[in-house]
Amino acid sequence: MAEIAVPKAAARRGFFGRFNLEVRGHMPIAQQVLVVSAGILLGLLLSALLLIASGVKPSGLANEFIVAIFSSKRNVAAVLSYAAPLTIVGLAATLAFKARFWNIGIEGQIIFGAIGATLVANSDFGPASMRIVTMALAAMVAGMLWIALPLFLKIRLQVNEIISTLLMNYIAFNFLLHLLYGSWKDPQSAFPNSKLFDDVERLMPVGWQNLNLSVPIAIVLVLCVAWLLGMSRYGFLLNFVYSNARMARAMGVRIAGLTVLFALASGALSGFGGFMISTGIESRLTQSFFIGYGFSGILIAFLARNNPFAVAFFAILIAVLMVAGQSLQVFYQIPFAMVQLIQAIIVICVAASEFFIHYRIRMVG
Amino acid sequence: MGMTRLSSTLAWGLALSVVPAVIHAEPFKLEGDPNPALVIFSQKNDGGWSQSLDEARAKVEKELGITIPVVENVPENATAIRPAVELFIDRGSNIIIGSAFGYSDTFLELAKQYPNVAFINPAGTTNAANLQSIYGRTYESQYLCGMAAGALSKSGKIGFVAANPFGLVNWTVNAYALGAQKINPDATVTVVFTGAWNDPVKERAATEALIEQGIDVVGQHVDSPTPQIVAQEKGVYGTGHHRDLSEFSTATQCSSVWVWDKYLTPTIQKIAAGEWETSPYGAFLSIKEGGTDIACCGDAVSEDVKKQIMDERQAIIDGKQVYAGPLSDRDGKERVKEGEVLSDADLWGMDWYVKGVISQQ
Repeated sequence: MAEIAVPKAAARRGFFGRFNLEVRGHMPIAQQVLVVSAGILLGLLLSALLLIASGVKPSGLANEFIVAIFSSKRNVAAVLSYAAPLTIVGLAATLAFKARFWNIGIEGQIIFGAIGATLVANSDFGPASMRIVTMALAAMVAGMLWIALPLFLKIRLQVNEIISTLLMNYIAFNFLLHLLYGSWKDPQSAFPNSKLFDDVERLMPVGWQNLNLSVPIAIVLVLCVAWLLGMSRYGFLLNFVYSNARMARAMGVRIAGLTVLFALASGALSGFGGFMISTGIESRLTQSFFIGYGFSGILIAFLARNNPFAVAFFAILIAVLMVAGQSLQVFYQIPFAMVQLIQAIIVICVAASEFFIHYRIRMVG
Repeated sequence: MGMTRLSSTLAWGLALSVVPAVIHAEPFKLEGDPNPALVIFSQKNDGGWSQSLDEARAKVEKELGITIPVVENVPENATAIRPAVELFIDRGSNIIIGSAFGYSDTFLELAKQYPNVAFINPAGTTNAANLQSIYGRTYESQYLCGMAAGALSKSGKIGFVAANPFGLVNWTVNAYALGAQKINPDATVTVVFTGAWNDPVKERAATEALIEQGIDVVGQHVDSPTPQIVAQEKGVYGTGHHRDLSEFSTATQCSSVWVWDKYLTPTIQKIAAGEWETSPYGAFLSIKEGGTDIACCGDAVSEDVKKQIMDERQAIIDGKQVYAGPLSDRDGKERVKEGEVLSDADLWGMDWYVKGVISQQ
């Protein structure tokens, strides 16, 4: 009987034999952590080679670069205070992306959130003891308002939200400039930023370094979003829609309702991020407070594959890369372009390590 | 995206009354030899504001025989500024030089936290016993370049591309017009505000529109050299800001240029000698003290005009005031009385234009 040739689509004849690319089942968490760590390590090694090639002395490299960051309380505080708002915007992106609403307008919603908070602060609205809470609520409402129009256009007219949310960023930014060069400019100096927030309008310090409540708030919000996506009924329905929208529709899931709910939540969280940055870090509304957050949030959500815990991890990674990038410049006087190259290498290595979580390469024959 | 750099650039200035005077009991004392470091908010080779600081850094290094490390692309938010500065301080830096308006609040906090470190912030607004914000009297150099523009313009119609309409931009517009009118009393300056410090697309559109309306010299107070490049393309003349923009365009005949080293070198020496006393209102530097100066002039400016400009420059160094009375705004309202000079506070708050300035508002 003639042997039947079995076609092996994914098989290639490699140098040592044949390799198959196989989809893995679920990989245990511990093993996943190991794979991602290997990715980070590889990224660090490649970066070290790059630095050495550009003339940095290899001795003490690890010591100055890694140990210096994690052994200094101040640097740890710097990482955490940057990671907290990054986590919030990463969660905001996650909520929208889970609902397949491509919210590229996080930056605009951050700006509007901060504008909402500042509006409350400027008008001294409500009792002073409740001011900070009122500001947070106003920021969330403002963030929702800023996503509402693209959301409406998407649901009603099928207008592509990637374009509309992106363009809303520019409108938000120019509105911010309009306020800061106009009625909200600092009455003391006539310069284009809002007046400093009063003490009751700032996030409370937690008493360690210069950290404030933003870190605990970020942790709580990670848990909330994890519950919402992983354990609540809405999360269940959303997973259903995410994996098979047609089937979900046929089963009577109200897809539009879910999209509206999660997109609004995304806008509210982005607005809250704007509140956190302006009240927790800048202590006033400035022209540049939002820089580096909006698009980092999108990057973080993609890297984290919409997993809220992974969002926190990648937010910290991005913050570490920022502080490490500065220390590289300070220590070695390398140009910023080199720093960006190193940051990109590490991010790509980590993203690529994901591949080995979902696939395995097996040698056959 | 493009938005990220906008805010910034430059040039804002030190406000007069921003932070109430901290009590300056005694001059600031530096421990050890001066060890400065520079923190730049954008790329150090941006062709404009940041590059002018980096070039000054190189000159100061040479003059004082020290090395000044630099870190670039530190955006104007506290999460980025603080670790950069603290890393330098950990490494032994004891003079921190900033570069942006948006560093003001964080530098004030850091100055309180590190009383043994001296802070200098170009374009800042905050001051303390160990923190000095500095800015230049850019109206002096823009006035001199305005003279070149007045001489170069055949039609008497001059254009000006500016960032945002507030004090420190308005004073360059007005001074530019006054300079042009010194040569040609009928000259007008049509100003377009782009609403951004660095937006080459809008700057190109504004410059092209101005040239279509018949202007034949373009001045500027924005960060990119785009207006000068467009001027060259369209065959008209121009004048630059921040640095000598003839590097980018043959149209450029005069530039208002930053000369920070003229201030930084003696200041660092004073800090080292324990003679540095900060002003609670910031240091507002004239040509003489090392704010801006001019790079003048190109081949198109006649020897006669060039001599007039250089004579006027000398007069300013000797004490001549650009905003001396009697001076009225374009609506006829008197702004400076005969025999008086516009105060610094009125300069920072300038929201009016002199006769001959045509603007959107």
